[in-house]
Amino acid sequence: MSMEDYDYLFKIVLIGNAGVGKTCLVRRFTQGLFPPGQGATIGVDFMIKTVEIRGVKVKLQIWDTAGQERFRSITQSYYRSANALILTYDITCEDSFRCLPEWLREIEQYANSQVVTILVGNKIDLAEKREVVRQRAEDFAESQSMLYLETSAKESDNVEKLFLDLACELIREAKQNTLDNSDAAAVPGEGKSISYLTCCSLN
Amino acid sequence: LEVVESPERRAMADPGSAGSSVRTDVIEALTDLEELERVYTQLCSEETQVEVELQALVEKQGGVESKMQLLQRMGPNLQLIEGDAAQLGGMISFTCSLAENVSSKVRQLDLTKKRLYQAIQRTDDILDLKFCTDGVQTALRNNDYEQAAAHIHRYLSLDQSVIELSRQGGEGSGVEASLALLQEAELQLKALVTKRLEEAVSAGDLPQVERFFKILPLLGLHEQGLAHFAHYLCGQLASKAEENLLLAVGSDLGERRAAVIFADTLTLLLEGIARIVETHQPIVETYYGPGRLYTLLTHLQTECDRQAQSVVDRFMQQRDYLNKFQVVQGSMLRSVSTEKMEARELDPVLSEVTLMNSRAELYLRFLRRRIMADFEVADATSAGSVVQEHQQCVQRLLKECELSCRMQELIGYYVPMEEYYMRETINKAVAMDTWEAGQLTSSMVDDTFYIVKKCISRALSSSSSDCLCAMINHATSVLETDFREVLVARLRVGYPGSTLADLQRGVSSAVSLMQSSLQHGKIHTHIDSQEQAKHAYLVTLNNVDVCSENISTLKKSLESDCSKLFSQGAGSDQAQAKIDSCLSDLVNTSSKFKDLLQEGLLELNNSAIKPQVKPWISNFLSVSHNIEEEEFSDYEANDPWVQQLIVQLEQLMVEFKVALSPVIYDTLTSLMTNLITTEMEKTVFKCTFSRLGGLQFDKELRSLVAYLSSVTSWTIRDKFARLTQMATILNLERVTEILDYWGPNSAPLTWRLTPAEVRQVLALRVDFRSEDIKRLRL
Repeated sequence: MSMEDYDYLFKIVLIGNAGVGKTCLVRRFTQGLFPPGQGATIGVDFMIKTVEIRGVKVKLQIWDTAGQERFRSITQSYYRSANALILTYDITCEDSFRCLPEWLREIEQYANSQVVTILVGNKIDLAEKREVVRQRAEDFAESQSMLYLETSAKESDNVEKLFLDLACELIREAKQNTLDNSDAAAVPGEGKSISYLTCCSLN
Repeated sequence: LEVVESPERRAMADPGSAGSSVRTDVIEALTDLEELERVYTQLCSEETQVEVELQALVEKQGGVESKMQLLQRMGPNLQLIEGDAAQLGGMISFTCSLAENVSSKVRQLDLTKKRLYQAIQRTDDILDLKFCTDGVQTALRNNDYEQAAAHIHRYLSLDQSVIELSRQGGEGSGVEASLALLQEAELQLKALVTKRLEEAVSAGDLPQVERFFKILPLLGLHEQGLAHFAHYLCGQLASKAEENLLLAVGSDLGERRAAVIFADTLTLLLEGIARIVETHQPIVETYYGPGRLYTLLTHLQTECDRQAQSVVDRFMQQRDYLNKFQVVQGSMLRSVSTEKMEARELDPVLSEVTLMNSRAELYLRFLRRRIMADFEVADATSAGSVVQEHQQCVQRLLKECELSCRMQELIGYYVPMEEYYMRETINKAVAMDTWEAGQLTSSMVDDTFYIVKKCISRALSSSSSDCLCAMINHATSVLETDFREVLVARLRVGYPGSTLADLQRGVSSAVSLMQSSLQHGKIHTHIDSQEQAKHAYLVTLNNVDVCSENISTLKKSLESDCSKLFSQGAGSDQAQAKIDSCLSDLVNTSSKFKDLLQEGLLELNNSAIKPQVKPWISNFLSVSHNIEEEEFSDYEANDPWVQQLIVQLEQLMVEFKVALSPVIYDTLTSLMTNLITTEMEKTVFKCTFSRLGGLQFDKELRSLVAYLSSVTSWTIRDKFARLTQMATILNLERVTEILDYWGPNSAPLTWRLTPAEVRQVLALRVDFRSEDIKRLRL
């Protein structure tokens, strides 16, 4: 691989029940399209998009996981190295909302403790079929100290915002971390920011 | 008025010089004699010029006249030409109309011919129709289905509008009768052939099945034909598969392939289908045309799914797969588990699962290749949307078939079990860690990487990129956290310093070591356990170093293994990108081990080297450098300090040189050199020097640099730059001599000392006056 031109590299993993629209969110963000009749994701899909936020180039590595139960053990292996998790549910599907605590348990178990988690209610274009009231989701997100956002991959509502907000948050945390790390030398944990130089030496 | 000349006049006046350049009114206005004379001469010269021109024109008169005569003579000829031209025009228009006349007749002829052909065609059709009608009857009577079907096929391929037209024609009744007969025969034949095919299928009579299978497309019953044929093939498949499964279940455990018997059974099933495709694809293509393989395989896949399902079910049951998974999951969730699975027990079942998956992947790749190739022939002229739809169909068939799902499920259970196997086996390797004298590293490093390699390779052998990536992720996590923690813990015990220094620093660790040896009821002498702890520390340093190296090696070997797999056509670019990303995460951990090594070496330097070296350097203080000639030559004979220091350093480092890998040893030497230089600087500032003392210091420094250069491969002169400069200053004759080396005169020398420091060093010389030093402009 050649030297790549970016200041930060972040791994974002999308999780949530099958059929809530994870793949559509990723496709909408990375390719600007809404693929109708999308089949279920097999295993894990992988997309890259580089964005620029206030002059900072951020490379987002987006891992789109399969929601179906039988892929769970494969998708779990990606949690640990994730900088951010997008926990997605479908606002027209009560069931997908009710499964959230289970997903949070998974995050608790497998993800690293500094991971940024954002709760996303997708499919707001189907407002007339809404089953989960916004307030309820907001309360839940707050109780778990997660960010919350409602999106529509179909109408491209808030999709860009979702990923860009997340990138901003990650940059903020990475800066915070490098500060902390420079204070206490030789911390056994890891700094989350992968700076330009260290990346190059790896590739 | 006269001023403005008309263009005509100017044209007449200028080129021919016909008019005079001097006008009459100008002449009349002249009063001056001189002017008059000048105009007069001018007019005279103009006159002669005009005469010459006139003469020339007169000479041309004869030629012009003869040309005029010639032209007059040509007059009548021109009239003749005009007549001829008119005649030619007439002829051309005549020819044109003639030609048009002829071509319209040809067109009419063409039309007539075409109609004639159509008429003949229709007559042929009608005759054929009659012939078919008769033929079908006869063929049906004779049970000659092929012939009958051929007739029906001919009938079906006739233009329907022609039949309609014929029906309206004069011969209507006759045609209608034969049409009715044909339609009846068609229905009859369809029913008959379908029935016969069904009978043949249920009787398992392959020649008959093939016979009627070939007839159906002639009757336009492609779908039915394929369905019935597939039904037959599925029946064959099912009986064979059931038989194989029974054999597998009943097979002897001692058999050679007993450990992979279910993978073998699945392989037989999938190979059976592949063979069917190989054997029957040509018939399908010949009699049904291209693009039909998909339909046939959709039917076959349902049977394949059914059979694969029972193989997998039997596998899970017989191998206790689910139960093993649950035990593993349980013991991973609760670190202190009640029921612990012996990792070794998992080995065979994990291998079998990956083998099964790789067979299934191979089979699905085969199907995709065959179906796509078949569609490609059929879709050569189709629109893009059709091609795309076909691709999606294939994708869906392969991705959503039960075989795929069951395999995904098996891999889903496999991954945590393989992870467990990896963790447990590594734990065991760590617990059984041994170190042999003469070895730099201990056994657990090589063992751990052997295990990691084995587990990832096994995941790779499943041909599933997701499975592989998951295992790479787990390996990264195990190495980066669990295994690294083991090394960190061992380094944290610390390196026991020797004797006095140890008592000051490492009391606690020594005590804990003592306690642990007491607890184990072993009677170790203090020295013994100390030696062991030292070894353990140095071996761990080597281990850490080897880890970062091994990670890079592991990544490279995995990369080449992956590319081998991909060159066989497995996986996509997408899969490749995923694997690359996971591998780069793996190799990132290498730097964590490098950091750890650095920390460990710093600790070693601080605990083992610093306490020893510091007093040796301080000894410098007890050797006076405020000396005269006599003492200087005495020092020359009996070295007061540096030789002993070198011997001490040599003795101190020999232990590390033997026990550490060359690269680490070099780094340690470099750390020690840093220590020496800083300590030396501090010490020198506490001394006083005479001129000869400065010379003595310079000599001592040179010896030290020479020695240290000889024991390390790094260049160390740079580290000594400040000290060397101090020696230079201490060697000066006079205070002002410094200016020969300072500022613009420094030339090749880059000063590492600040002006203040230079003054400070100068002040160390007893014979330099402080006023002189103050007066210096640096």
